[in-house]
Amino acid sequence: MFWRRTADVVVIGAGVQGCSIAYNLAKMGVKDIVVLEKGTICSGSTGRCGAGIRAQWGTEMNCRFGLAAVEKFEQLHDELGMDCGLNQSGYLMVAYKDSEFEQLQKSMKLQNSLGINTRVVTYDEAKEICPGLAAEDAVGFTFHERDGHADPFLTTFAYMEAAKRLGVEFLRFTEVTDVKTVAGRVAGVATNRGDIDAPVVVNAAGGYSQFIAKMAGVEIPNLSERHEILITEPVEPGVCPPMLMSFSGNYYIQQRPHGSIIGGCSPEGHPQDYDLGNSWDFLEMMSRTFVRLLPRTKGVRVVRQWSGLYNMTPDRQPVLCEADNVKGFFLSCGYSGHGFMFGPISGELLAQLILGQEPWIPIGMLHYSRFERGELLIEPAVV
Amino acid sequence: MRTRGKVKGLRQTEVLVIGGGPAGLSASLEAASLGCQVTLVDSDLALGGQLIKQTHKFFGSKDERAGTRGFKISEILLEELERYKDRVKVHMNCTATGFYREDGVVSCVIGEDEYFRIKPGKIVMATGAQERLLPFPNNHLPGVYGAGAVQTLMNVYGVAPGKRVLMVGAGNIGLIVSYQLMQAGVEIAGIVEAMDRVGGYWVHAAKVRRMGVPIYLRHTIKEALGDRVVAGAVIQEIDDRFQPVGKEIQIDVDIICMAVGLTPTCELLWQAGCEMVFVPQLCGHVAQRDLFMRTSHPDIWVAGDAAGIEEASAAMVEGRIAGVGVARSLGKDDSSEHSKRLEEYRRRLADLRGGEVGQKICQGLECCTVNEWGV
Repeated sequence: MFWRRTADVVVIGAGVQGCSIAYNLAKMGVKDIVVLEKGTICSGSTGRCGAGIRAQWGTEMNCRFGLAAVEKFEQLHDELGMDCGLNQSGYLMVAYKDSEFEQLQKSMKLQNSLGINTRVVTYDEAKEICPGLAAEDAVGFTFHERDGHADPFLTTFAYMEAAKRLGVEFLRFTEVTDVKTVAGRVAGVATNRGDIDAPVVVNAAGGYSQFIAKMAGVEIPNLSERHEILITEPVEPGVCPPMLMSFSGNYYIQQRPHGSIIGGCSPEGHPQDYDLGNSWDFLEMMSRTFVRLLPRTKGVRVVRQWSGLYNMTPDRQPVLCEADNVKGFFLSCGYSGHGFMFGPISGELLAQLILGQEPWIPIGMLHYSRFERGELLIEPAVV
Repeated sequence: MRTRGKVKGLRQTEVLVIGGGPAGLSASLEAASLGCQVTLVDSDLALGGQLIKQTHKFFGSKDERAGTRGFKISEILLEELERYKDRVKVHMNCTATGFYREDGVVSCVIGEDEYFRIKPGKIVMATGAQERLLPFPNNHLPGVYGAGAVQTLMNVYGVAPGKRVLMVGAGNIGLIVSYQLMQAGVEIAGIVEAMDRVGGYWVHAAKVRRMGVPIYLRHTIKEALGDRVVAGAVIQEIDDRFQPVGKEIQIDVDIICMAVGLTPTCELLWQAGCEMVFVPQLCGHVAQRDLFMRTSHPDIWVAGDAAGIEEASAAMVEGRIAGVGVARSLGKDDSSEHSKRLEEYRRRLADLRGGEVGQKICQGLECCTVNEWGV
């Protein structure tokens, strides 16, 4: 078997982050990029996620990222030459408490000031947006019609195929076992299949990024939590066109194009055991939420439940930077449950950073040193 | 491991047997006869699994009722079950939908409405097999059936599936179902077989050939024809590498019946994290097991087709062995009784597997059997 010994850039992880970074680097002219994946393409958190895309955030930085992501997804099909399964039917945020509704409206003001046309909608309007909705007990809703969801597999494959056309190589079942450094610079990686020397290594290892960082001698406080999700058998399309989301209601729910409904929530005490197991209490809790919120799902079968890892940081914002102590070692991780939607943007920004350009959205505050300095950018709007 | 408080509405049972076919029934009977409290769940409306639609006489050995028709064997097992009805609780129309390995809870749904969960001490997975299907254009059309489904329609519900059938597969199931269809007055337009010889017993093949049914060796189905339902099929000869050669033959049929083999139903075993291994001789992924049919999961046993595709006779003996294994692990009855029964059942299995077909099974079993799991 041919084994490459060197590369200009090694990207660790072939989820949406890794594929987007590799594609953007190749597009900007970098040759000899290799993406290493310990499983199959999109087999980690990306392929397990709820796939929402939204600009309705509570911090300026996330709003900018979110809006940029929405705009990017709107033209991703044209750029990558492959359908990404974008469904732009909006995010309908549901508040069940007055304080929560106030927070949504506060965020909305911020969003509006940044060119995101989020608006408050009445329950009647909410039902027009989401015909299957039953939320008499909600106190208010906000809606941004350019939000939505996409297909995480199609999106990641589209990036991979586009990257391949530009010469990027993808190696599956290739697990990084060490990150080599020499005199404060990254020198390459060791894998279960052999070593690759490279002056630039990107850690896009999602739920396992803290282990990769540690191999390079970089300490990040990321933790991986298991989150669960399920999918029903198909019902007629149009029951739930938008992404439904509520922080106090503790859910996000969307309908796939063929009619199946996907939903997840945040049960207490996420195990941090990398086990990717499932629990019946999630099944029951989520099923109750489905039936209460979308009465059409009563009696509908659950087809499958699964779980994935949220790579969490202390402020639920990503780590997107070059390591201080290891030059050439870049990190794109810690997305805390919204890495899929940011992937198209963060890939572009990190590629700029790697090439010594000024990222077009400032990302200086996403360096992991913020945690040590206590300068957290806490994002309130997370399920 | 997640910690949690006492859970409301969680049923308990010493032994849960999933699947009430020959293996599951035998496991339930054996465990109950040794003093275990058993809950038996089966997704069908009647116990007996595939036995209830098997109108042919069994081969195999006398111990396993050779010469008796399948549905009669099922009746005999159910009579035996009657004797243990205070120890075996049966849920029919009840599907085990999930095994949750963090706490060993099994979720079940009765019909479409009643959901419950149960925490068994031990589990015997006797979930049987699923029919394989082939991919070809229009294979989703109504009229494309698995042979097992056709057999159920005819022999359990008394419904003829159609008027003219193309059978795909000349193994025992394809041959037997073809013959039974003819007995029911349905015409068999032909039997297609990818291999260069008939896979099933000669006696079955001879029966259908005597009645003038063509058997197309080295042929495969190319596509189903029809707009909303099956109206025909296109078949074609294939070469040694299974690539189509020669001219296409169009056959007018309203039913395409797929008898291209079975594969073990093992989703729950995967969910339980049992060590699995792909064994071609056993027709798919199967759980590693010890000589008591215990999987790598200390509380889970496996028996019957779920443990590897074989015949109902062997499934019944495997069920018996699993039943003894479960009772033994629960400390039921005395160990000399266990040993006596195990010795007997192992002898019976060896007898059943003594023939030519058994050789393939034995080769397969060597790939997935350990002597005993380390404790």
